[in-house]
Amino acid sequence: MKHIIHSNGNLNDTVRNNSDCPHVALPEEIFFVISIAGILENLIILLAVIKNKNLQSPMYFFICSLAISDMLGSLYKIVENVLIMFRNMGYLKPHGSFETTADDIIDTMFILSLLGSIFSLLAIAVDRYITIFHALQYHSIVTMCRTIVILAIIWIFCIGSGIAMVIFSHHVPTVLTFASLFPLMLVFILCLYVHMFLLARSHARNISTLPRANMRGAITLTILLGVFIFCWAPFILHVLLMTFCPRNPYCTCYMSLFQVNGMLIMCNAVIDPFIYAFRSPELRGAFRRMMSYS
Amino acid sequence: MSAQRLISNRTFQQTVSNSDYTWEYEYYEIGPVSFEGLKAHKYSIVIGFWVGLAVFVIFMFFVLTLLTKTGAPHQDNIESSEKRFRMNSFVSDFGKPLDPDKVFSRQGNEESRSLFHCYINEVGHSDRAKAGHQTTAIDSAAQLQEAIRGSRRAEEELNRLMKFDIPNFVNTDQNSFGEDDLLISEPPIVLENKPVSQTSHKDLD
Repeated sequence: MKHIIHSNGNLNDTVRNNSDCPHVALPEEIFFVISIAGILENLIILLAVIKNKNLQSPMYFFICSLAISDMLGSLYKIVENVLIMFRNMGYLKPHGSFETTADDIIDTMFILSLLGSIFSLLAIAVDRYITIFHALQYHSIVTMCRTIVILAIIWIFCIGSGIAMVIFSHHVPTVLTFASLFPLMLVFILCLYVHMFLLARSHARNISTLPRANMRGAITLTILLGVFIFCWAPFILHVLLMTFCPRNPYCTCYMSLFQVNGMLIMCNAVIDPFIYAFRSPELRGAFRRMMSYS
Repeated sequence: MSAQRLISNRTFQQTVSNSDYTWEYEYYEIGPVSFEGLKAHKYSIVIGFWVGLAVFVIFMFFVLTLLTKTGAPHQDNIESSEKRFRMNSFVSDFGKPLDPDKVFSRQGNEESRSLFHCYINEVGHSDRAKAGHQTTAIDSAAQLQEAIRGSRRAEEELNRLMKFDIPNFVNTDQNSFGEDDLLISEPPIVLENKPVSQTSHKDLD
């Protein structure tokens, strides 16, 4: 994946016509601001869960896992920008071994963040599904021990996959695996939430709730899944186009928007706390208490 | 300026053997791409992708909205009645503050009441065995309470317990607590582990 992530660097040597699609370059400051906002928000969530005993339940642990992956993604962007600044100032050699190793490490961090995000969202959806459909046995199915084991398995798998993908990033099957994870997870999460939504709708019908409540459920679901899709699909398409049609002019024009696509992933790290973590009044209360004490 | 990356001119050498030629991945100098003779607009993939994505999300929203209006009544009846049986069994088992009359009033007749009593013993024992301890039953009662909305008393208790729960959007209307909140927000089971258990311990003692 390294060649995909870093391929947009070299513009000096290629001859470009006037009709080319120029690379859309976003100022570094935007990336810095978004990344720092992402890190701060997710750090607040982690601190709130660590400090409050009543927030230490399986559901909040999954939300913490999501917060950690978002933080890793933002951290990746900050470290990358810092390294580029050093290189531009001449402190780093372009082909040195330190730079290569640093590059590998931050690429692993990036892929780890993506995979961690995907699996955390999946875990949150499954947890909510069990809550609704196996409500009576929830506490025996989702125990703290199992939660920790599942999270450990997820992260070990993500770390292993991240390292493997960085090592084998030049092979097509790696790219295909990476790109196919996204639609698979999306479909699975969509099915879970739609099933939950159907149950909610059937209960609401018996109780003659206002139709407004159902509309709100539809809006909430659309926001959850829409943010997921809008923030990730552009980058996944970029990865696919880079692998399969790097010389096609249409594909090149799409890939010229690489920085915008990367920024969308950073935005996902900023938006996720608002649609998952800060929905909970307990967590909001814990956050307010933390702010009032400090 | 900002487009340059750390390893802009890097080439990755991979010598497979000691032969004369070596593999070299030069994936940064892809070469000039000719833009001559394009049939469609050069940003057509970009535009097509974003339009397709927007259409998909809007379509998904309309499908969800339509599900609220129509949907599957068959699945509806089976699911809701099944869940109501299971939930109601725990209410009676417990003898909780919920008024059993109001619980059963929705079902209507004596027949179903006797059916519930039979079912209660089955489900109650089996689920208790599974749960193993009291908090599961307590939590199920908590969820039950929020499922049964017909009675005012349940609703009052509900409002008391639900202050821990979340409306997803700013909820100024007390009556608009919907199942969508259960769907998206965290379940009362998890949230009210402590407060409900404290309350019910007081009640049971």
